[in-house]
Amino acid sequence: MNVFVTPAMLAQVVVSGILSGALYAMVALGLALIFGVMRIINVAHGPLLMLGAYTTYFLYSALGLNPYLTVPVSMLALFAVGVLLERTLVFRVVDAPELSSLLLTFGISIALVNLAQLLFTSDLRSVEYLTGSWVVGPVALSKPRLVAFVFAGALTGLAFLFLRRTKLGKAIRATSQSREVAMVCGIDVQRIHLITFGLAAALAAAGGALIAMIVAIQPEMGQTWTFKSFLVIVLGGAGNYPGALLGGILLGLIEQVASLFLTTQLSEVVAYVLLVVVLLVRPTGLLGGRET
Amino acid sequence: MTTKALGAVVAAMAVLVGGLAAQAQGPIRIGASLSLTGTYAKLGRNQHEGYKLCEKDLNATGGLLGRKVEFVVYDDQSTPATAVRLYEKLITEDMVDGVMGPYSSPVTEASANVTEKYKKVMVAPLAATTSIFKRPPDKKRYYVFMVISPAEAYLEGLIDMAAKRGLKTVAVVNEDTLFSKAAAAGAVDIAKKKGMQVVFQEAYPKGNTDFAALLTKVKSLNPDIVAAATYFDDAVALTRQMRELDVSPKAYGVTVGGDLPEFYDTLKANAEYVYGATQWEHVLPYPGNHEFFGAYKKEFGHEPSYHSAAGYAGCLIYAEAVKRAGTLDADRVREQLLKLEMRTVFGDYKVDQDGFQVAHRMVTFQWQEGKKVVVWPDEMAPAKPRFPTPPWNQR
Repeated sequence: MNVFVTPAMLAQVVVSGILSGALYAMVALGLALIFGVMRIINVAHGPLLMLGAYTTYFLYSALGLNPYLTVPVSMLALFAVGVLLERTLVFRVVDAPELSSLLLTFGISIALVNLAQLLFTSDLRSVEYLTGSWVVGPVALSKPRLVAFVFAGALTGLAFLFLRRTKLGKAIRATSQSREVAMVCGIDVQRIHLITFGLAAALAAAGGALIAMIVAIQPEMGQTWTFKSFLVIVLGGAGNYPGALLGGILLGLIEQVASLFLTTQLSEVVAYVLLVVVLLVRPTGLLGGRET
Repeated sequence: MTTKALGAVVAAMAVLVGGLAAQAQGPIRIGASLSLTGTYAKLGRNQHEGYKLCEKDLNATGGLLGRKVEFVVYDDQSTPATAVRLYEKLITEDMVDGVMGPYSSPVTEASANVTEKYKKVMVAPLAATTSIFKRPPDKKRYYVFMVISPAEAYLEGLIDMAAKRGLKTVAVVNEDTLFSKAAAAGAVDIAKKKGMQVVFQEAYPKGNTDFAALLTKVKSLNPDIVAAATYFDDAVALTRQMRELDVSPKAYGVTVGGDLPEFYDTLKANAEYVYGATQWEHVLPYPGNHEFFGAYKKEFGHEPSYHSAAGYAGCLIYAEAVKRAGTLDADRVREQLLKLEMRTVFGDYKVDQDGFQVAHRMVTFQWQEGKKVVVWPDEMAPAKPRFPTPPWNQR
């Protein structure tokens, strides 16, 4: 249809794109960590996010907690789930061919989704806490999305600080650069794997918790997020952590701007065409491969 | 021949004759495949309960053709391929006397091929897609009958009410799937017929929950009406984001999903003024509707949905046609179904020569103070719509 795009409209979608992009970045950072450190493609990343969303939902609806206060609780809970999964299952496929890890995490993903369907049913649920928007000039800032943006930005920042500054973070990056050398230097690689997986699950959980306050949740909500996270880390460069940040914001912007100029349907096409182009032209991602 | 042997022969004959008599008075078995698990489980189960209540009511009033009625139901797990296999089994192995339709358009579309092949009449109470019934002459289906209103009629009430109140411009958005596309196309047609201007139309992919860009475009055009052909999650997300982006049409309506209690539970006050469409409500003044509502609640411990009512009514419609035909013979039952005009708890039934429903009416409701209030069509509406919808910042 003939919609005349004004600068105000463009400003609106750019803002919306950046707001959702920050969430993409945070969730994808978890996936990038696991891939970087363990060389595992974790298909169960989205379902872990879904569990985080349900944790927040139940804490909010059953105990009446402020949903934003439940974010750290969801993160801790899913950190534990991540650690448990790593210790019981995932560690077995760390050095196995890539297909094994794909199959295993795919299996975990199916199991988690079906378990959630059994336990929580497929009914849609939502955390209706903060609605509406703040209007700044021509731009409406959705309240739950803006707060989610702030949370995502802060958590991603903390994760980077942790990776850059702390001894444990440095050990994680060292393991990601070369497992053998890290081992020789006395780093307990098993433990690093455990912590990385837990941390990634916690980042996914934070994403889930924040998403639960934006849209209605259901057990199958995770898969889309697995795909989006893949897209983000391929765009940014697999294993390159700042790349995840760039990729996330980029994906948010592409989706929104393409929806504005084309249609909502075509925006997905644009995102995935870009994925193919990046893989063809610059397979290491826009910021290059495993530079940490 | 000894008396002993004679006795044995008599006994054998008695068993045979007895068996035959029992056969003649055995129940009429009606087969159906329903979505008892999987994606459509909730709705398929309601339809199943509608069938069960119909079975009970028929048997309480002397059965059908002097025989008891018994449903044979299998679970198709909400997949068309399984349903196809189950209808084959019902017809060829279980040798059922009749069949009733499954849940949903896609499953009905697939199953109808089987029932046509074996020339079995199938009243399909939960298929709303026009293309199942309206087909090119060389692919015509003879034995499948529609009960509910087609997808194209879902947004008719919203557009009609708005037109009567002098609104001029419409924006139509829809999920890009079979049902929603048909509902959107229907809305565009009706709007044009009423002389309104469709200023915007866009589809979005299934599972989409971010409508910022789409709504930014809608807002820039400032339409009087936003008509959205939705399912549940998109209806919720769209409504929330309309508030966030301050998109304030004078009337805003959705299709499926808007009629679920969860719609209000999720959106709370933001659901106020939203219009929705439904095939059936228990408050509608159809004969026996009130009693059906009570009996259903008593029997199953929860309220019926329109799927329950359509299942119940579909089964009664089939039974009525069998009664009038006086036989289970498919061609004679078909003749009756084509002629039949009936008013059930679900509303009116009458089909054209393709088995396509032409009498049943959709109703449009509006969420008012947490309740669905029927506001259209006028002759069935107990209340007036709250019109126009006030802008978000004045609520």
